[in-house]
Amino acid sequence: MQNNKEEFLKLIEEHKLIIYKICNAYCKNRYDRDDLVQEIIYQLWRSYNHFNGTVKFSTWMYRVALNVAITFYRKTKTSKAIIQLAEADTEMEDQKEDTSELEKNMDVLQQFINNLKELDKALMILYLEEKSYREIGEILGITETNVATRLSRIKDKLKQKFSTLNN
Amino acid sequence: MEDITLKNLWKAQDEKLDRTMKLNLLILESMQKEKAASKLNSLARLKLFAVILGVLWALFLGVLIYGNQLQNIYFTVSVGMIMLITIAAIAIYIKHIVLIKELDYSQSITDTQKKLAQLQASTFSSRFILLQTPFYTTFFWSTEMIQASVSKFFLIAVPITLLFTILTIWLYKNLTPLKMHKKWVSYLLKNDPEQVPLIQAQKFLEEIEEFKKVS
Repeated sequence: MQNNKEEFLKLIEEHKLIIYKICNAYCKNRYDRDDLVQEIIYQLWRSYNHFNGTVKFSTWMYRVALNVAITFYRKTKTSKAIIQLAEADTEMEDQKEDTSELEKNMDVLQQFINNLKELDKALMILYLEEKSYREIGEILGITETNVATRLSRIKDKLKQKFSTLNN
Repeated sequence: MEDITLKNLWKAQDEKLDRTMKLNLLILESMQKEKAASKLNSLARLKLFAVILGVLWALFLGVLIYGNQLQNIYFTVSVGMIMLITIAAIAIYIKHIVLIKELDYSQSITDTQKKLAQLQASTFSSRFILLQTPFYTTFFWSTEMIQASVSKFFLIAVPITLLFTILTIWLYKNLTPLKMHKKWVSYLLKNDPEQVPLIQAQKFLEEIEEFKKVS
């Protein structure tokens, strides 16, 4: 059991950036984000004993993390207080001045992802994480054709957003 | 904006991420204890609370039936039906708790989210309990009461029960998130805090189906 725990912690350490990115995309509020990180790690640990290696570790991890994040997001979005706090956070970010072109573009991308629906958000994160269409399909439970069609639509919208901003 | 630029922008965010979390075995162990009261288990806890209340109510009704010893058939049948509906409700809630406990987050996102949304949307809540209503208008009937005034019984008591039965069936059929397009249903459901998560779950189920379609 102890070895199992150590092995799990090592794997989490290696992949923890994935968890942070997912939490960042599904939670704007810092306190909620900390809760979500804990919730994901807890659910990963709970499911770890059933991980049998039939899929890649990263595929398994994305499934658990995204499922927990979407469930958490759907539970918290009803709370007006949380929404207000999240809006306050966004406003503060909007007020930042002297940001470089790179940071502006990063903010546009982040805001675009934040405004996507739960499932489209997961799709976009997986695409940006350079997962293959096949793996994205496996994680989300949809066909590769569907992945390609949906991604193409989302990217078109994003490109439009960037071009409006640059003109 | 090229695909490669988008991916580079995404990677650039790595530096900005808050990476204060330090994992160790102690944290994992304390987390396990803390998470016994996990946020995601709140739905199961709520249902468990409803099961306990339901069992107590069903026991109370059972005691009433036992105490009556079939002296009044109207009372026995009415209370018996209320008890049966309560037991059915308890069974559905227990099934939900088992489903929540067995929920596997390592399955695909659409499958797991669909199961979760179905669980939330299928919560029968007040709508199912409504079916008990007509029996609250019959439990006090008795042969003596009917014989004492047959006309009053058929002109007042029976129409009231019929009215409640029709109203209950109509409400049961209409008071569902599927009939949200009707103004009065939308008004009633949106103003009932218990129904809000059900409406959202129903909408999310539609979103999942739409997401799975290749168009």
